[in-house]
Amino acid sequence: MLTAKPVFVEKAGEWFLDDERLRYCHECGICAASCPIFELFGRGFNPRVLFENYLLNPDGLLASEKPWLCAWCYRCYRRCPQGLKLPEIFLLPKKIAVERGYTEPFEAALQKIVENVPLPLATAYVCFHPERAGLDGEDVLKKIENLYEEFLEAEKEQLGKRAPRGKVAVVGSGPAGLTVAYELRRKGYEVDVFEALQQPGGMLWKCIPDHRLPKGVVSKEIRMIEDLGVGIKTGVRIGEDLSIDDLWEEGNKAVFIGVGAHKSRHLRIEGADLESVVHALDFLWRVNSGEELGKGKNVAVVGGGTVAMDAAKTALRIGAKEVTILYRRSREEMPAIPWDVKEAEDEGVKMEFLVSPNKILGENGKVSSVECVRMELGELDETGRRRPVPMGGSEFMREAGMVILAIGEAPDLGFLPDGVELNEDGTIWVNPVTMETSMRGVFAGGDAVKGPASVIEAVRAGKCAAESIENYLESLEG
Amino acid sequence: MGGESTIEEGGEVRVGVYVCHCGLNIAGSVDCEEVTKFAGTLPHVVLSKDNRYTCSEQDQDLIKNDIRENDLNRVVVASCSPRLHEPTFRKVCEDAGLNKYLFEMANIREQCSWVHLRDREAATEKAKDLVKMAVAKAALLQPSEEIEVPINRSALVIGGGVAGIQAALDLADTGYEVYLVEREPSIGGRMAQIDKTFPTMDCSICILAPKMSDAGHHPNIELLTNSEVVDVSGYIGNFRVKVLKKPRYVTDDCSACGECPEVCPVIAPNEFDAGLALRHAIYTPFAQAVPSTYIIDMENCLNKEGVIVCDKCIKACDREAINFEMKPETVELEIGTIIVATGADVFDPSSLPDYGYGKHPDVITSLEFERLINAGGPSGGHLIRPSDMQIPKRVAFIQCVGSRSEKNERLYCSNVCCMNTIKDSLLIKEHWPDTEIYVFYIDIRAYGKGFEDLYRRAKGEGVRFVRGLPAEILEDRVNHNLWLIGENTLQNELYKMNADMVVLSVGLEPQKDSEIVQRLLTLSRTQDGFFMEAHPKLRPVDAATGGIFFAGCAEGPKDIKDSVTQASAAAARSGILMAKGKVTVEAITPLYDPDKCTACGLCTKVCPYNSITLNKATKQIEVVEAACGGCGTCAAECPFDALTQNHFTDPQILAQIDAVTEHGAENKIVAFCCNWCAYAGADFAGVSRMQYPPEARIIRTMCSGRVSTKFVERAFARGAAAVLVAGCHPGDCHYINANYQTRRRVELLWKRMEANGLNKERLQLLWATAAEGERIATKIREMHSLIEEVKPEEIEKAKKVFERALG
Repeated sequence: MLTAKPVFVEKAGEWFLDDERLRYCHECGICAASCPIFELFGRGFNPRVLFENYLLNPDGLLASEKPWLCAWCYRCYRRCPQGLKLPEIFLLPKKIAVERGYTEPFEAALQKIVENVPLPLATAYVCFHPERAGLDGEDVLKKIENLYEEFLEAEKEQLGKRAPRGKVAVVGSGPAGLTVAYELRRKGYEVDVFEALQQPGGMLWKCIPDHRLPKGVVSKEIRMIEDLGVGIKTGVRIGEDLSIDDLWEEGNKAVFIGVGAHKSRHLRIEGADLESVVHALDFLWRVNSGEELGKGKNVAVVGGGTVAMDAAKTALRIGAKEVTILYRRSREEMPAIPWDVKEAEDEGVKMEFLVSPNKILGENGKVSSVECVRMELGELDETGRRRPVPMGGSEFMREAGMVILAIGEAPDLGFLPDGVELNEDGTIWVNPVTMETSMRGVFAGGDAVKGPASVIEAVRAGKCAAESIENYLESLEG
Repeated sequence: MGGESTIEEGGEVRVGVYVCHCGLNIAGSVDCEEVTKFAGTLPHVVLSKDNRYTCSEQDQDLIKNDIRENDLNRVVVASCSPRLHEPTFRKVCEDAGLNKYLFEMANIREQCSWVHLRDREAATEKAKDLVKMAVAKAALLQPSEEIEVPINRSALVIGGGVAGIQAALDLADTGYEVYLVEREPSIGGRMAQIDKTFPTMDCSICILAPKMSDAGHHPNIELLTNSEVVDVSGYIGNFRVKVLKKPRYVTDDCSACGECPEVCPVIAPNEFDAGLALRHAIYTPFAQAVPSTYIIDMENCLNKEGVIVCDKCIKACDREAINFEMKPETVELEIGTIIVATGADVFDPSSLPDYGYGKHPDVITSLEFERLINAGGPSGGHLIRPSDMQIPKRVAFIQCVGSRSEKNERLYCSNVCCMNTIKDSLLIKEHWPDTEIYVFYIDIRAYGKGFEDLYRRAKGEGVRFVRGLPAEILEDRVNHNLWLIGENTLQNELYKMNADMVVLSVGLEPQKDSEIVQRLLTLSRTQDGFFMEAHPKLRPVDAATGGIFFAGCAEGPKDIKDSVTQASAAAARSGILMAKGKVTVEAITPLYDPDKCTACGLCTKVCPYNSITLNKATKQIEVVEAACGGCGTCAAECPFDALTQNHFTDPQILAQIDAVTEHGAENKIVAFCCNWCAYAGADFAGVSRMQYPPEARIIRTMCSGRVSTKFVERAFARGAAAVLVAGCHPGDCHYINANYQTRRRVELLWKRMEANGLNKERLQLLWATAAEGERIATKIREMHSLIEEVKPEEIEKAKKVFERALG
């Protein structure tokens, strides 16, 4: 057994951890209740208990697979009354384990991920991040692929023995939709996934940059699901090519809506329609399709979310001269995952806080500069963050050859029938327990319900919806 | 004044030094015997002793005997903070026939042994220095007579909640004149809004209303409702207070018949019902209001700026009590003592988006709940949920909303919410026994008399207590039910619970305008924003500022019983002062040497009390001693040494500086701390056992405004590595604004240092309140690193630059 305690004490100090704050957990359980992994694993992973072990039984933590199951979504941190950054706190035992070549717990974790988390290949890349603890990404992928193939072989065998069950339609082939399809197929249902684009994968394929998630991994992930017997119909846009009613007529007993949030919010300022002003999702999509947008230019990215970080990092990789993120609040209020922000900065993205663009100026129809205004933080707003207020007379110019707008995304839900209630912010309302919408038999999850969020949250929603759909279909059969 | 005769002019100075062990509090990290031996070697010291507890009766007698038998004419005690025991030892001196101004203290506990627990050697060296400084000052002390000022036998109580009412009644019953100022149209405060009280389940307004009425009718109490204190000047026993009486637009002829609101066409949310009900523009906040006189809310009334467009209420009033001509009025009061009973505010949960308060109608606060369950409230006591007016079948309470959270910047427990929720759950059970009740908590704190019984009763009634707070509350758009998602931390299990109504048990927080009250009365606040008492154990209701006392939640969250207890205590404390009828003020006024005065008038400009005037005819200044607050900033300002401050004279302070810098100055920090904030903050660091490096030697002045530029220059000229000047935050000065002079002088010194090529970082300026011990400790840690970098040549250079200051 390794004796980790002295190492912990010594290392915790050197780390970015706020050692003082570590002691103040009142065990309210808000972290656990916010954690998608806790929901996926049940008692197998509880961030609150894990954190307690951090203080009570550090050596046990080194030998445990649990720290490896944290998916870095930071939902715990966003809500923790004490502001503890658990994902970063859990990184320490992983780093120590790797430094000492103690990788059994990690391998046990991989097995658990394969068994419990749909889309294990993609999530290993964009959620679990074993490379942050110092492991080699390629190796991990090979290991996980082998485990996954083995697991699916067994699943297929089981499936062969099962009597066929009802038919379910899934709208959207992003992480939420794929999860529902994968889970229901394993339960024996016949599942068709409808994808409006020519390529399945939703955000995984369209907008998550290649450096974060290689395209090969996405196609492999999808191929594995297809191999299981899921039908994926690309180029079919529900609402245009087919209606929800058509889906019922085709014999589907339940429908899952997982169309994501692909509609960029607009910035209504002068010059927003100039050439070289692009929305971040379009930018990422075009780059993913091979365009070299922004090469050699001074790029300004407006916004502070994960999409803004992705766009900024991608622009740098393409060869932008300089990339600056303009965010109207301060670092604390950024909706992006803190680790992504740190990575972006490490890679050379510049950050300007408390700055908002006033207008975009152009020459010959092309962007030449952005007029910005400095902001200060005022009273708390309805999001619980302090509202940015422009400071009069603080306007200044900054040069830019291209502006990327990443100020939020919303789902495009025009195709839904009237019986499906929406929330005030334009997302779909679902019963939080069953994920059923206000229309019977229609379920929804992922970004279309929660607004832009991480892949693991879509996976969690998909798994939860699949269970509910099964219950629902069983109840139909009586 | 100036030129007071010294004792035994030219006679021998005989100092006695007593080094206290304070059990192991000091002796645990300071070698007291060695310090005593060292003290014996100092000039003028004729006797030095160490004692286990110098403050004990026995050792006090010892000092008295020594004074008589050894003809001691100065006494130095090295023990705790002078803020704690200076009065004790001054009395010892007086008892032995020695003027109490011939006593000096060295603070070797709060500012030495407690902050250097693990470095005995350094702590002992520092203790020696502190004793040496005290002896150096003691040798120059002069006897002084204090002036006595009368105390007005009238009290001001700010805030008319239950604490204010109780304090006012107690004082009025004792026979003093009391002014009870309340901002709202009626007295009663939070207690009037609450339905029942825990743990006895008494009806809140039923037990409060008689007290309110007593206060309203008491011949010794003058109620000033709808009024605010706008200015306070003066000092203990002699405050001059200005109160702004806002117009009610209804005269005292009102008989509260209730005809006027019937005809008033305007409606607005009723603040008393937490906005859950409506009232008219002419209204009385609640049935039991005192005074019962109606009031017109001009914000909403149609008759603005004196233009009468609606006269319905005027016509409806038989007694012609309505008067739109009423104007705001300022009343000036002569006050002896002040009781601050300004209460607390409740946390606004709209800043917690995950709980959906303000978005989901059936998520309400505990205060709103009180109005809903109250028979006099908007629903007549029927607990109905706002969305559909139905009686909820399942109610969830969430504890610690806005308490005990780093993120909400409220680290403290609000004390009352646990019991309040338990009481509320029983109220529901009493009326609707079938209601399912869930309480989500982190810790249930049922610590008071009868509290545990009530907790047991709630459990017995079937109230379910679930450990683990919901992470979010989602609304079912179909039926308005609420989903609570959280972790049951005892079961290690996720719960997704459906409830018809959620009550957020919101914490208490300091009143939003505490800062204004703080400035008006020059009070201190603790880190959580509540007012700070003079001593947490022994003077729990006194403010650090003389003549001011606290009652109720202004000083920290408390329940009704504690508020009332504290109110009676505050009344007793202020009664003691008023019964005596007079108070002596410390003899720390300016000493004036007319021969040196050039009538430049600089002192008159910096005096915060305007107590110095320049007589142009005689070319001299005149000091009104009774008006002087004793900050000493005039003495620091005078370029010709014509003014100094009694008991904090230039020679005394310079002697302290010289004592510090005699040996090893290059490794020392000379620190000047004001008595009220920085020195008290350094004491607080000690009481809290915050550890910091031992280089700092603190010299106490009443105000940082006393710190003359020549003191700082002298320290550098004598080779000190660094100098710290610390005072109250700008705006918080206990001498109105004297610390602005501090800032100006330090800035001047920085310029001088820069101009001479000195590292200006060696002079640090710090603002810290009495509660900010950590700020002081941190600053000293920073300066510790700073002086390690200071090179010998820099010290030599500073010595040269400031050479003149040695003269």
